[in-house]
Amino acid sequence: MRRSKTRSIVVWTAVALVGAVAWAIVALVRGEQISAAWLVFAAVASYAIAYRFYARFIARKVLEVDRERATPAERLDNGIDYQPTDRRVLFGHHFAAIAGAGPLVGPVLAAQMGYLPGTIWIIVGVIFAGAVQDMVILFFSMRRDGKSLGQMARDEIGPVGGAAALIAVFSIMIILLAVLALVVVNALAQSPWGTFSLAMTIPIALFMGFYLRVLRPGRVLEVTAIGVALLLIAIVLGGVIDDSSLADEFTLSPETLALCLVGYGFVASVLPVWMLLAPRDYLSTFMKIGVILMLAIGIIVTLPVMKNEAVTDFASSGEGPVFAGALFPFVFIIIACGALSGFHSLIASGTTPKMIEKETQVRTIGYGAMLMESFVAVMAMVAACIIEPGLYYAMNAPAGVVGDSVQSASQAVNGLGFQISPGELQSAAADVEEETLVARTGGAPTLAIGMSEIFAGATGAGLKAFWYHFAIMFEALFILTTVDAGTRVGRFMLQDTLGNVVKPFANVSWKPGLWITSAMVVAAWGWFLYGGVTNPLGGINQLFPLFGIANQLLAAVALTVGTTLLIKAGKLKYAWVTGVPLAWDAVVTLTASYQKVFSDDPKIGFFAQRDSFQEALDQGEVLAPAQSLDDMQSVVTNSTVDGVLAALFAVLIVVVIADAARIWVRVIRSRRPAPTTETPFVQSRLVAPAGLLPTAEEKALLAGAGGATATDRFERERERETTR
Amino acid sequence: MTIRDALAGVRWYLREVSGETAYDRYVAHVRRDHPGEPVMSRRDFERWRQDDRNDNPRARCC
Repeated sequence: MRRSKTRSIVVWTAVALVGAVAWAIVALVRGEQISAAWLVFAAVASYAIAYRFYARFIARKVLEVDRERATPAERLDNGIDYQPTDRRVLFGHHFAAIAGAGPLVGPVLAAQMGYLPGTIWIIVGVIFAGAVQDMVILFFSMRRDGKSLGQMARDEIGPVGGAAALIAVFSIMIILLAVLALVVVNALAQSPWGTFSLAMTIPIALFMGFYLRVLRPGRVLEVTAIGVALLLIAIVLGGVIDDSSLADEFTLSPETLALCLVGYGFVASVLPVWMLLAPRDYLSTFMKIGVILMLAIGIIVTLPVMKNEAVTDFASSGEGPVFAGALFPFVFIIIACGALSGFHSLIASGTTPKMIEKETQVRTIGYGAMLMESFVAVMAMVAACIIEPGLYYAMNAPAGVVGDSVQSASQAVNGLGFQISPGELQSAAADVEEETLVARTGGAPTLAIGMSEIFAGATGAGLKAFWYHFAIMFEALFILTTVDAGTRVGRFMLQDTLGNVVKPFANVSWKPGLWITSAMVVAAWGWFLYGGVTNPLGGINQLFPLFGIANQLLAAVALTVGTTLLIKAGKLKYAWVTGVPLAWDAVVTLTASYQKVFSDDPKIGFFAQRDSFQEALDQGEVLAPAQSLDDMQSVVTNSTVDGVLAALFAVLIVVVIADAARIWVRVIRSRRPAPTTETPFVQSRLVAPAGLLPTAEEKALLAGAGGATATDRFERERERETTR
Repeated sequence: MTIRDALAGVRWYLREVSGETAYDRYVAHVRRDHPGEPVMSRRDFERWRQDDRNDNPRARCC
């Protein structure tokens, strides 16, 4: 015992030292370029310490997880949605559900402030806010048979808080879908290679769907292997198409692509799941996990150097071209996923709590999976910062700033204080066989360039174009899956709400209702998408802050629910665990909304922007970068709607917190815990380790229990079957 | 741990994560908790499982 304790102290001291050295280098070295490895070390050492000490403290002291208490999966096991699932498998499911394009895009945009602010927020944010939120919500939902966040908000805070939560969920869904679709449009516009490859995923998915439905039901692995092979062929073929006379057919303008996506979104969401969504989901999940692993290995093998500055001047001036506004609050808004993502609370109160085998596993799955997502965000930051800063700005500044030629872009980038020649821009585009890289906003192309440099560093420069389009495809693929799945979730909420007024809508399989509500959801995000595509000011820099605010609003709802439940359980002394991140999140989000609504700077404030364009419009003038009176009108409409939304989000946060504060005061004054809403205790009969690897003590228990884990029990069952 | 064990582990993990084993679990569940009740064929079960997702959409995060 003593020896293992000494060893533990030695190991953790070493981890802490590595982390401290890495942080010192990341934070303090100026004027020379550091290796990306230091970011990776700083992140991994911090995660390890946070997981070992802070997450354990939360699990044991704050939540008091109880390994004797049966989880809903054990009590309500119905072999389908309630089902004790091996922790490693559930970790995979949960991670695949929470991690998407968000942690890849946000850090790329935030890189305009330098790598340091974003990296600090990604790592510190996840440790004290994001992972805490995921774990706490997972725990509370698990103690309530897997209740959703909306239900918990209604039950614990009240109808007002509940309604606010519902509006928050719906609006974030719409903005999220619009932003993600916009990322795809910007990545594929004028790119026949990318467009062709992505278009091919539709027949591939249809084939896979048919295979699983008719030919060999349930053989997911073999069909996924076939699908991935076809996907790689589609990427290679894209290169052939790019050089052929067919290239023009697949060269689509942003407007056309946006309309295609809207049409696709509608059709995909009304088709039965087995045709497109299910097979796409398999493909994108495997691609996602595979590429993330490849990226991690690539960074470790090639050890690229960070070419970006640690902190750029834009951090304080707030005049960066990628998005407007200063470091505080906007870095904390732009990087949502990876540090603190409210959206995760929907997953943590959805399927995961119904499948968790042991209470003790909330730390592994809730906290652990979020640390993984944070690591993905750190890698995205690395990928964005290893490319030449001049190229980064030429790609990420909107067309209104950099123009549409390599000459104008080179000039504009010089004006921003960075260097890149027209020739260098030209050859960077030629390297990846794209027409141009100027004003390819949205984050995906930048990430793809960074990834193609890392991968080509490992496999040879000849494959750079392939890797670029591979990366684009990988992002576009799972964004389309999210668009399909998200449209369905939005539709479901709408059917539910409309069903209260018009009865037939409540029946979710009623076809006319399904079509109408699907069309409404698609129209809503399609409107923002089209506005983003045609906006002369650049869609991403207008919409992404709004998406960040919506996501952090949802996080505020989740953390408020968590704080309320801690206080109600008589754990006021631990309420800071969710209370402090809630306070931080509220300050950040309200400051950002305030600036977005009230700032006099037309680049930041939506209404200031609206006023300046409306004034010019009244006098029949055209303000750059708008090119026509129609452009002017669309800027006015967009900024009005965006401003109203930013204000609405701020009001919602205040309403939820104020409504909850009422409950907090009442409970604290009464000096005793509120009546619990937990499902009563039932003795657990399963034995399963808490972490990914079993401890010595757990191994002994497992042996003693004759292996009563869900998996082992199942294996025994099967043995009995075969011997019978 | 031999290479063979490792490969078996990878295969086990992929089958579990992808849901290939869902049917086996279902059969085990019915036999254990509802003995005597009819068991769906694999084809029917997979259809039913897919169609269930039409009415119970799952969010995918950003």
